[in-house]
Amino acid sequence: MTTLDTKQHILDEAGFVYSINRAVYFNRKSKKIISVEFAMDHDEEILERVTREDTGGKEWKFYFNSGEPPEGVRREIEAELA
Amino acid sequence: MPEAERTVEDRLREEYFTLLPEIRRVADRLEAEIRYHVLPISGALERHERLAVKCRVKSCESALEKLRARQEGRAFQGDRPEIYTLTSLNDLAGVRVLAFPRGRLAEIDGRLLEVFPSWTSDPVKDDGEVQALKYYGYCRQASDKVKGEYQIVSMLTGLFWEVEHSAIYKPDARLGQIALNLGMRQRTRDVARAFSAFEEQFEALARQD
Repeated sequence: MTTLDTKQHILDEAGFVYSINRAVYFNRKSKKIISVEFAMDHDEEILERVTREDTGGKEWKFYFNSGEPPEGVRREIEAELA
Repeated sequence: MPEAERTVEDRLREEYFTLLPEIRRVADRLEAEIRYHVLPISGALERHERLAVKCRVKSCESALEKLRARQEGRAFQGDRPEIYTLTSLNDLAGVRVLAFPRGRLAEIDGRLLEVFPSWTSDPVKDDGEVQALKYYGYCRQASDKVKGEYQIVSMLTGLFWEVEHSAIYKPDARLGQIALNLGMRQRTRDVARAFSAFEEQFEALARQD
């Protein structure tokens, strides 16, 4: 399996869905949002670790290359994906 | 409408239509120069070879989407509209030179480098492989605000991008984000490699003829 297919498989297996509008993978249950840029730039091991990480699941956790998004952006994305 | 009520998109649409005459001037100028300078090459093509020059002005909504696509999460910061400008895009006016088979690409590249020596090289790469040669810069005779871009790409790849663009982006610019899905990227990569193998085989056989 190629690297991209492996990464897609990791995300699929962990219950992440792709948002066309936001170009992010998200999981409503674990409340995690991973940008495609983050998924592209990090290897499979890190991606696997991120999908398994226990974040408490109370607030959305963003995995962006640029770090935590600004409050307004965060709210907009959360409102759309919640 | 009061400034505070205008969205980032409203401001960018206004900017687009202010820039549009200059975008058209850059596109016209760039296309004319490139057509003129590749004439000696297109006039000397073998019977199995093709060369085409295509020009386009980026649409308003495509320009907005391109700028939006630079933001992770595809959201503008509504409280900081001043940080966004369409003049940061390199391809508001774009020309694509398509050649088949890809053996002519280096020759075209060399010719156009003589014409646009100060332009910035920004090749389209995927997994380390160059998909297209790309350059951007200013046509000072046409505009000092709007940049132009030209690409030199194998005809099969370029036509595939056109089909992909018509099928995916045209109906709704936001659908373009489908292409970024990791599984879709792999399928696109598979297509590019198949075209490359096809062209290499074709070129090798055509040379034997």
